[in-house]
Amino acid sequence: MILKTKQLTKSFGGLKAMDKVDFELKKNEIRGIIGPNGSGKSTFFNLVSGIYDSDPGSYIEFDGHDITFTPPYKIAGYGLSRTFQLLRLYQDMTVIDNVMAGYHTKVPYSFIDAVVGRKKIWDQERAIKEEMMELLSFVGLADYAELNASELSGGQRRLLVLARAIAMKPKLLMLDEPAAGLSPVNVDNLMKIIMQLKDKYGLTLIIIEHILKVVMDTCNTVTVFDHGQKIAEGTPSKVKDDNAVIEAYLGKKMDDEEMRKALAV
Amino acid sequence: MEKFKILIRNYPFIAFIIAFCILALVPSVIFTDVYQSHLATLIFVNIVVAAGLNIVKGYCGQVTVGHVGLFAVGSYTAGTLFLYLGLGFWVTLPIAIVVTAFFGVAMGIPSFRLEGPYLALATLGGGEAIRLFIENGNFFRSTFGISDIPTPSLMGFNFDSPDRYYFISMTIMIIAVYFSFSILRSGIGRAFMSIREDPICAAAAGINVKKYKILAFILSAMFAGAAGAVYAHMPPGYIHPNNYTVIEMVTFLAMVVLGGLGHIWGGIIGAVIITIVYDLTRPLYKYQLLIFGLTIVLTILFMPKGIGGFIDRYFLEKRFKKKTGTEKT
Repeated sequence: MILKTKQLTKSFGGLKAMDKVDFELKKNEIRGIIGPNGSGKSTFFNLVSGIYDSDPGSYIEFDGHDITFTPPYKIAGYGLSRTFQLLRLYQDMTVIDNVMAGYHTKVPYSFIDAVVGRKKIWDQERAIKEEMMELLSFVGLADYAELNASELSGGQRRLLVLARAIAMKPKLLMLDEPAAGLSPVNVDNLMKIIMQLKDKYGLTLIIIEHILKVVMDTCNTVTVFDHGQKIAEGTPSKVKDDNAVIEAYLGKKMDDEEMRKALAV
Repeated sequence: MEKFKILIRNYPFIAFIIAFCILALVPSVIFTDVYQSHLATLIFVNIVVAAGLNIVKGYCGQVTVGHVGLFAVGSYTAGTLFLYLGLGFWVTLPIAIVVTAFFGVAMGIPSFRLEGPYLALATLGGGEAIRLFIENGNFFRSTFGISDIPTPSLMGFNFDSPDRYYFISMTIMIIAVYFSFSILRSGIGRAFMSIREDPICAAAAGINVKKYKILAFILSAMFAGAAGAVYAHMPPGYIHPNNYTVIEMVTFLAMVVLGGLGHIWGGIIGAVIITIVYDLTRPLYKYQLLIFGLTIVLTILFMPKGIGGFIDRYFLEKRFKKKTGTEKT
């Protein structure tokens, strides 16, 4: 069990964005999270990665650590990496710096070393740079390494965000709509890269995605959120036929009698 | 040449020793009168302040407008230590750096909750409060200023004239620049930059945002403190609260903005240019603020990354073209 939440709750004023969610994730699993807009998917990510504090009574455990009230940088240090729906690229830094900043947790940067031990720091920096260039060429951005991140195209930005999240060699990678705004060809390409990375680094994945085809094709298990509650969980085919899920997405199913009434009015 | 480059990369202090030697030759080769040495010392002081300001503003992205207050703390720590205890430069310099570092922490704490213009207002208040505190009270000899602060002497040799003091300010400047280069070219500099770009994402990527913010403030305060102490002991050794007003702050800001915010050479290029321009336009003192205000606005409009960024851009485009054969706009 790599990630476990118990009674996870978060309210913003009177609105319950997350309502008593129990969630369990096994190692090496690919989990899809779906649900209509405003159903609490991103809130769930923000709670787990520590960006929001959850309400009292909640419990989150990651890889054996209780991370309920741990600040985000420590959670990242335990090996949890995430991407954001709005990318949050470091716009004014070069592509290679973006990725190297993602590697931060793995190197003990000491102030004294930086000033006195320049040779040590330089060797270390060069080793990191080589490793990160390898990662960049894996996702196909090696040629752009020295450009500013703001100069990349939409698809390249998605790839860069992915590379930056992978850079810290996480145990669990949480992707928030990795394929939003991509053309179908690019989506296929991106998913292929994600799967290759998963095999290469032995990742556990959680993917939020609105393109249902992606979720149905790649995920072992799918969790469905609606109004901050978990309404269904299971294999993709099972979830697809679940009544609660169809209701959440399309509205209530009517029988013939109800349909006639509705049409008569 | 390639071998030399690798040598410099592994042992960067060699580069600084070379810089030291070249700069040490400058007065005897180029300078024709004492005033030029005095101007050079001013440039070095400004370089130290601007390099520090570039760490906190250019790299860490925390808009601070109270930096001149920290500069004043450095100067007045040195000044009062001389006035009441009769201490000399070699003692007051480290004490000034440490005291200013504490003031830097105080200046940095608002940055945990505030950002952008709000932080600018808070730090402006901090800087002005320091100046007013110094100005209102006879403890700091505010009316007449502290005068006759002695110049340092080393093994019987007294650096008592501008052309001798040049070597003190130059050494401090080279050490400060070495510090700023080595810090900003390590992972610490990259952590600063990611906090500037996106603090939330930086936190999620494992960077302790509060720690690095406070570190940036402490570092830049130490630079300002060192510069302040050097400025106080500069012959003729006279400091007055009027030298630490918002006008000086605008000048410091103009240096960093013109040189390039977040560019490693930014503060240095800017300090050299602005100090010389400031000196040349002394007869037009009525319009000086106008000139610097205009410089900031025009630079932000047409060269958002300053002169340093502009030059970088030129070489980058050349290299990118060579590599991919395509134009990148």
